[in-house]
Amino acid sequence: MSEIDMAVIKPEMMKPYIWLETSDGSIQQVEQEIAMYCPLICKEIIQKGMGSSKNCAICLPQRVSPATLSLILDYCRFHQVPGRSNKERKSYDEKFVRMDTKRLCELTSAADSLQLKPLVDLTSRALARIIEGKSPEEIREIFHLPDDLTEEEKLEPLKNTTDDPRIRLLNRLYAKKRKELKERERLKSVEVEEEHIDKRSVDDLLSFINGNDEDQKGIKTSKNKKKNRRKKEQHQKNSSLKEASGVNKKEVNGQNIRHPDSEADIIAETSISHTEDVFPHKEFDDGDIDDGIDPALKEKIDREVEDFARRLNSDWPERMQELLSSGQERKTRLYSPNGNSFLRRNA
Amino acid sequence: MRRVIRMVDVMGPDLISDLPQSIIESILVKLPITDAVRTSILSSKWRYKWASITQLVFDDKCVPFSNDREIVERSVVKFITRALFLHQGPIHKFQISNSMLQSCPEIDQWILFLSRNDIKELVMEIGEGEFFRIPSSLFNCRKLTRLELSRCELDPPHSFKGFVCLRSLNLHQVLISPDAVESLISRCPLLESLSLSYFDNLALTISAPNLKYLYLEGEFKDICLEDTPLLVEISIAMYMTDDIAEHFEQSSNCNFLKFLGGVPNLEKLVGLIYFTKYLSIGIDSVHLPIMYHNLETIELHQVNFEDTKEILVILRMITSSPNLKELHISGSSNIPIAADAPDLDFWEKGCLSDSSLNRLKTVKLSEMGGWPHELEFIKYLLCRSPVLETLSIIPCVFDMGNNLKMLIELVKCRRASSRGEVIFIHE
Repeated sequence: MSEIDMAVIKPEMMKPYIWLETSDGSIQQVEQEIAMYCPLICKEIIQKGMGSSKNCAICLPQRVSPATLSLILDYCRFHQVPGRSNKERKSYDEKFVRMDTKRLCELTSAADSLQLKPLVDLTSRALARIIEGKSPEEIREIFHLPDDLTEEEKLEPLKNTTDDPRIRLLNRLYAKKRKELKERERLKSVEVEEEHIDKRSVDDLLSFINGNDEDQKGIKTSKNKKKNRRKKEQHQKNSSLKEASGVNKKEVNGQNIRHPDSEADIIAETSISHTEDVFPHKEFDDGDIDDGIDPALKEKIDREVEDFARRLNSDWPERMQELLSSGQERKTRLYSPNGNSFLRRNA
Repeated sequence: MRRVIRMVDVMGPDLISDLPQSIIESILVKLPITDAVRTSILSSKWRYKWASITQLVFDDKCVPFSNDREIVERSVVKFITRALFLHQGPIHKFQISNSMLQSCPEIDQWILFLSRNDIKELVMEIGEGEFFRIPSSLFNCRKLTRLELSRCELDPPHSFKGFVCLRSLNLHQVLISPDAVESLISRCPLLESLSLSYFDNLALTISAPNLKYLYLEGEFKDICLEDTPLLVEISIAMYMTDDIAEHFEQSSNCNFLKFLGGVPNLEKLVGLIYFTKYLSIGIDSVHLPIMYHNLETIELHQVNFEDTKEILVILRMITSSPNLKELHISGSSNIPIAADAPDLDFWEKGCLSDSSLNRLKTVKLSEMGGWPHELEFIKYLLCRSPVLETLSIIPCVFDMGNNLKMLIELVKCRRASSRGEVIFIHE
């Protein structure tokens, strides 16, 4: 159909309709003047003469679903009216793009395939507003992006050209993380889970507390309060066990004060491998106070230690009685560096 | 490396990464450059999407703020250099609008790089300081459509044939010889918009057959619009120096004709500072046949109502514009020195046609001192504007006595428009 034919036909039809076929195969009728707002449809009608009947319905690109098409037609219906002011149009546009991100992306894609540039601009601006100022994690979540840059790729100091202090900090954190990862590789054999510490015998802990080295206490109690509670529970469990008179698994009484050194070593090692803080020293010597814990933290730790000691000491006298009277063979529990099992070492 | 299976994989398909690059570009280009570059760590597909965007805009916010200008400058330079280095593909728009950046050798390299990458729009607005010299590689940018430079030195080589695609030229505080400017303008055949500001002592002849928008501001000795038939909008702010004043005294041309003689399609005219004075020179010597049928808005500021020739400029303009809708005149705030009675005969003379201003709807008169000529002018307007809707008057002297005198006179005026409101704005 040439344009002249169109001009002739138009006055005869009250409101010419155009047939459009969407990606799912469904065909619908749309007012011609609205559909013509889309350049692609316009071309199809004028250059190829399509769309005048159901049989030669214009096949819309695959990216245009029926839902998206109805949105696009709403947009066209509003904007093709010539008399509207810029303010009105802008206000309509603002309201129009308020939709969930998934639909916004589909709409952008569909508008692009129909070559409707003003709508593409509008939707891209909305998407840009969504992206602007957000962290990578937030953006990935919104758009369902896979976090598939390998650790190394991400840990490469961002070849980022911004010199943003945030990026610099991130790079520093990554450098630290890389170092940690390397540490972990080396300490893999020392991997022990946190629960094991909690299941340590109270006596071990006691001797630890009462030991010479203040720092060892520091390390122990710098673990979270939960462990303290667990220890307490353990303590209670142990008391009940005692009552049930299990023989072999009893803990050792306080008389078996082990040499704090080796104990401390192992405890220190394990603590390093699974706490987030990186302690500068792996081994603690007797009387080696300087382990980098700052004074405020130290105070806090001391307080926790005293508290814990008090709690234990309140039960201590009666426990001592029981233990002494039962005449248990001294058994100690030790952590083995290998795996989860407990090794018993005869005193 | 262990791969962590995250909730994200379970949530649904990727919404955005597989959209065509034209859409991604459309989105990235609407982000500040730092956000666009940051998308490189989103996922493996996004790693280099930013690197092929065709518009790079570096403004004051592209690097973190610091009070030390040199630190900021260094980080801007580093950022831009790296971004260009990592970039792939054509760059159509490149803009630096950063007040911390000053002339530095890297700018030459950037412009050279851009000249090899099909640059179309180039905007360089850098900070105060030493003017930087534009490298010759700029003149090899064949596809340039828009050029905006400020605070630099421009020296086109003799062999320069012009920018054949240039549509918009904006030079602000640019050191360039007058001949070079004229030849630059005349050698850009598609030029539609020209803006020259902060020029010293320039006598300019503009020959630009496609020119539509003209904006000039500075100390212009002389402006001649030789070949500008398509001009639609003109805005001129002419500053005065002793040199120029002397030139005006000695001039025998009719500036009105020289300037407005060849712009029949004019739609809007704005004149500031000494522009009306400039136009008034030689005005009474020639009768002007030209009509401006499309002229709908006239704004003439700093008009000296003591000089009847300047008043004549306004009157001539108004009577030659049958479709004038909006008029805005502001007087000069100089209190008249002339002690002798103003030449009110001027208004009686028959040289003023009786044509009415049939379309004039809005008039705004500011900096009105209430002087006799001003009042006559207001009377003139009121008598001849049948469709006038608003006439606003803003007095410059907030002297109650003077204002009162003005109001008394105004109340006496005969009005041609029944709907017309005279609004006296008194703060």
